[in-house]
Order: sequence, then C-alpha cells, then structure tokens
Amino acid sequence: MDSLISVRDMCKIYNPGENEVRALDHVDLEIKKGEFVAIIGHSGSGKSTLMNMLGCLDVPTSGAYYLSGRDVSALKDNQLSEIRNQEIGFIFQGFNLIANLTALENVELPLIYRGIGRGQRHKLAKEALIQVGLQKRMEHKPSEMSGGQQQRVAIARAIAAQPPVILADEPTGNLDSASTQEIMEILKGLHEAGHSVILITHDNEIAEQAKRVVRILDGKIVEDYVNT
Amino acid sequence: MGNIIEYVKMAFKNIKANKGRSFLTMLGIIIGISSVIMVMAVGDGTANAMNSEVEDLGTGQISVYCSDDAINAEAWITPEDVAAIKESITGVEGATPQDGTSGTTITGKGEFSVTLSGGTEDLQKSLNFNMKRGSYFTSVDVEEGNRVCVISNSDAKRLFGSDDVVGMDIEVDINGISGSYRIVGVTEQKENTSFVSYTYEGMPVSIEVPYTSFNYFGWESDSFYSVMVFSNDEASGEDVAQDIIHTLETRHQCAGEEYYQIQSFQDMLAELNSMLAIVTTFISCVAAISLVVGGIGVMNIMLVSVTERTREIGIRKSLGAKTSSILMQFLAEAAILTVLGGIIGIFLGLLGAMGACSLMSASMGSVIHPGIKASTILGATLFSCGIGVFFGIYPARKAAKLSPIEALRRN
Repeated sequence: MDSLISVRDMCKIYNPGENEVRALDHVDLEIKKGEFVAIIGHSGSGKSTLMNMLGCLDVPTSGAYYLSGRDVSALKDNQLSEIRNQEIGFIFQGFNLIANLTALENVELPLIYRGIGRGQRHKLAKEALIQVGLQKRMEHKPSEMSGGQQQRVAIARAIAAQPPVILADEPTGNLDSASTQEIMEILKGLHEAGHSVILITHDNEIAEQAKRVVRILDGKIVEDYVNT
Repeated sequence: MGNIIEYVKMAFKNIKANKGRSFLTMLGIIIGISSVIMVMAVGDGTANAMNSEVEDLGTGQISVYCSDDAINAEAWITPEDVAAIKESITGVEGATPQDGTSGTTITGKGEFSVTLSGGTEDLQKSLNFNMKRGSYFTSVDVEEGNRVCVISNSDAKRLFGSDDVVGMDIEVDINGISGSYRIVGVTEQKENTSFVSYTYEGMPVSIEVPYTSFNYFGWESDSFYSVMVFSNDEASGEDVAQDIIHTLETRHQCAGEEYYQIQSFQDMLAELNSMLAIVTTFISCVAAISLVVGGIGVMNIMLVSVTERTREIGIRKSLGAKTSSILMQFLAEAAILTVLGGIIGIFLGLLGAMGACSLMSASMGSVIHPGIKASTILGATLFSCGIGVFFGIYPARKAAKLSPIEALRRN
C-alpha cells in the first residue's frame, strides 16, 4: 500500500537552550494508507507533540515529515492551514464544537474554509451526519446533545470533506464507557470503509482496538506492533 | 477571498448570539452618529429657515458704493449715473441714490429723533412693505423736490397715536433748519421674525423722502456715496453688478481704478450662511469625538471577545481557517456592529432633529424643518463603517495571529 505518513528523524525541542525540553527525540514513523494506528503514551511522553506534528498544527525543530508524499515540515502558517483543511480530519478530546452553531453548521465549517459552495456543503455535511447516526440532531446546538452525540458531530466534521487522514486525539477521554464503545465502533467502521485513522490515547484498552499500536515514551518510539 | 459572504454570516450569527453585549457595544456609535446627524440637520434646517426669511427681505438688491479712492477723487455717483444705470442695463428694474440725514421732531407725544432716507420713487422697491394708506411719493415729487414722506404704521402710532395720518405734516428740525414733511403714505410694518428685526425699542422714527427735498435744508443733494439697484429675477446678480460697475467706470472714465464696489444681498446671505456652517461644523466635530470614543468601545469589546473566543479561533484554525479568514470574520463583526449602530444612530438623530426643530419652531415663532441631506446620511454610514474597520483591525489581527495549538489549549 502507498505511504501516507512518513516521519524521518523528527525532533521537537521546546525552550532551546539550558532548560530545553526534547518532546520528540529522533522519531521515525511510517503509516500507510488505510491503516488504523493507535499512538499510546503517558502524559508528557510526547504523544501530544507528535499529534501536533502529524496534524500540521506545528512544525518540527528538525527532521522531515512527508504527508501524502509532500514535505510539510517547513511550511508557513497559511500553507499549514491549507494542508489541515485538505488532508486532515481532527477529532479532539474536548469535542471542540462551536457552541453557537448547530450540528450541521459545525460540520460545514471545514467545507466553508475549503471554499465549497452552499448546496454541495449542505449535502456533504448531511451525509456525514447520517453516517454517524445523527440524522435527527442536525439542527441541535452542542449544548442540547450528550457527550457521545457531540463527539459524533465532531467525527462527522472530520470526515465530511473526505480527508486522507483522520486524527483522533483522546476521542473518548471525556466519555462514559457506553459512549466510548460507540465512538470506537464508528472509528472502526471508518477504518473498514477505507479511511486511515490515527488514534492518540493513553488507554491500553482503547489502543488494543486498533490494528497497530505505536508506544511512545520520553519522546521516543519504544514499541510498534500489530494487534492480532 | 471569495468567501466574504460566509464570514459576514458568521459575524452576524455571533452578534445575534450576544445580543445584549452587541447592543452595548453599538451604544457609543449610536450616540456619536445620532448627535452628529442631529446637529447637522438642525443646523441645515436653521440655515434654510433663515435663508427663506432673509430672501423675503431683499433678493435682487445690489448696493453700489464708492471706495475710499473714489471719495478722494471726488468721483461721486450722480443722479445722471443713476438714470443711466436704470435705463441702459438689462435686468435692472429700478435704481435710487441713497442719501440720508437725521433730525428731530416734536409732536403731542413728545420729542423724537427722525431718520430721513432720501431716494427716488424706486426706493419703495427696497423693502417690500405693503402700503397701508395713501401711496408712495412719485417721480413728480422727486423732480419738484416736494417735501413729502412715507412712514410706517408703527412709527405713525408713536408720533401721533394713530396710523390714520395721511395728509398730516411732520415738522422736522435738521441742523437748526426746520421744515415740514407732508405724509402721503403709510406702510405696513412687518412683524419681526426669528432672524430679521424690522423694529426695536428706541429706534428713531424713520421716514422715506425724495432726495431732492433735502435742497430745502441748504445742501445740494446731487452727489451720492451709494446707489441701490434692483434687478429682476431673470437677471444674474453677478452680471448686473458687472454691468453697473462698467457703466459707472465708463461715465467717470476711471476704468481699472476700483472706484466702485458692490455689495449684493446674496453676498451678505452667503456670509451669514458660512458663519452658520462654521458653527455647525464645530459642533459636529465635538460630536464626532464621541464617535471616536464609541469606536474605542468597539475595539475594547472586540478584544474581550477575542480573548473569550480564543478556543473557537483555535478550532477554526485547526479546521483550516487561514489567518486572513479569521481576520475577515472579526473585521466583518466590528464593521457590522458599527454600521448597525450607525443606522440606528441615523434614525435616532433624525428623530432628535425633528424634536429639536419643533421645539425651536414653537419657541421662536417661525417654522424650522430639519435639513436632511442624503450626503450627511451617506457620510455618517461610511464614517461609522470606517470606524468599525479601523478599530476592528487590532483585535482582528490579534485573533488571526493566534497559534492553533495555543488557542486550543486555552479554555
């Protein structure tokens, strides 16, 4: 299969100088199209930094990052915005929906920034919401929905524009066990439908549900195995 | 950026979501715009009312007078000059020399000072008073130097206690020589208006007489300092004035000497108007300061809003919003707030101007309509929009430059 993500010798150093923090220490990582990978680590292990790099929210101090074959490790702010918009669907721990927008409007947001016209936007957003089982909640605001439902809206937002990478950062961290399982089933379903899913978590049980697990500790990848 | 409509929609949504705060933000702009609109409308309305009242008084009047040079050269205006002006210049309906003197008179009501305005029968065109009794003196009276006079009804009442005075004599003492003037006509004194006073307490009794009647008091009235010319409506005052100067200069062979100067009523009116405009502009400037304060208010609230919505900005950026998208969204929000405030302010300002004008009309006894100009309204709208964009730039840039990671980390 084609390479989707290729990280080579990536370092991220905060506060360079005497008190420098080496959040990522010479990381190499390959992820192919269609994979379902869990990146697992404790807090402070560097997994959030890795997720920021993979999500093009930040640029590494050194090393290269090829996303769909393009080096994105040295792009400018606006170019990163474009990459995020086109290549990545984010799912966050805190859902990160905009409170005064309805579910449908939230899902439409990345499509607006992509410049998709109103009609097409509505269609894509509705399809995504139906896909996560929220056809009856489209006009609800986040405050009128449960945590699980909010996270499903966030998933719909991530998949609406059909980005190559779905990047989920502790997507179940704020959810009860029932909702957690619901969300995991949706992510598995997305993987089965051919999406590439990267799941960042500190929870071994969650990680075990992915096809491949990458463990990170002190900024280094210490384990990388395929679940059987 | 083809997505401006989307950003405007987003901005509207956010304004609607925070109605109370949005209104308070607009308040400064509302007060600023409404006070500017009100001052300008009342100012223009006053100017219009003043112009229409003053125009009643004497449009088409052109006063020509000798400059200091002409006085030194003794190039006075003669009765022949006046006749030439009247006959040869198109658009001139009448012309009269202006001569005058003062004296005293004693009647049964006491002693009065008297102002005698001398001229030809054309003098009756100067103030468009109606004749109440009798008639104006005639060209025959002017030719013969008859001592006849026209007096206003209010002056007649002061002198004799009645305005039924046609045929009565006024004994006038001028420089120790006394002579009697027969009253041939009584004019109707106009009521004072807000801007024009026709009479005041202690004003001398005023009579209009043929200038030739002054011969009786021992001086030859045949050279004048000034001449009053009446043009008809069709003629341009400017052209007539030039023709008068030309005629006078030809007759006195003094072209280019600037002996004769013109003061038309339009000039005086223009002067009055420009004074009023200065006052209006000054007050508007003071009101405009409140607009700037209002703009700073908008900036403050937008800054608070940026801080409060840091997380939202982070979300938008993570979803692919560019710096310019966020900038546009916040700028649109500031512009909409100020434009809405501006529109509300225009309405309130117009209402206020109507209220102020009706109050003024009631207290001054003349009708003042607020002067509402499209340019004022357009200017106010553009200005408030400009304030929104200007004061919105700083908060919007602050929002747009946030790093998505930083923004997402904050709650």
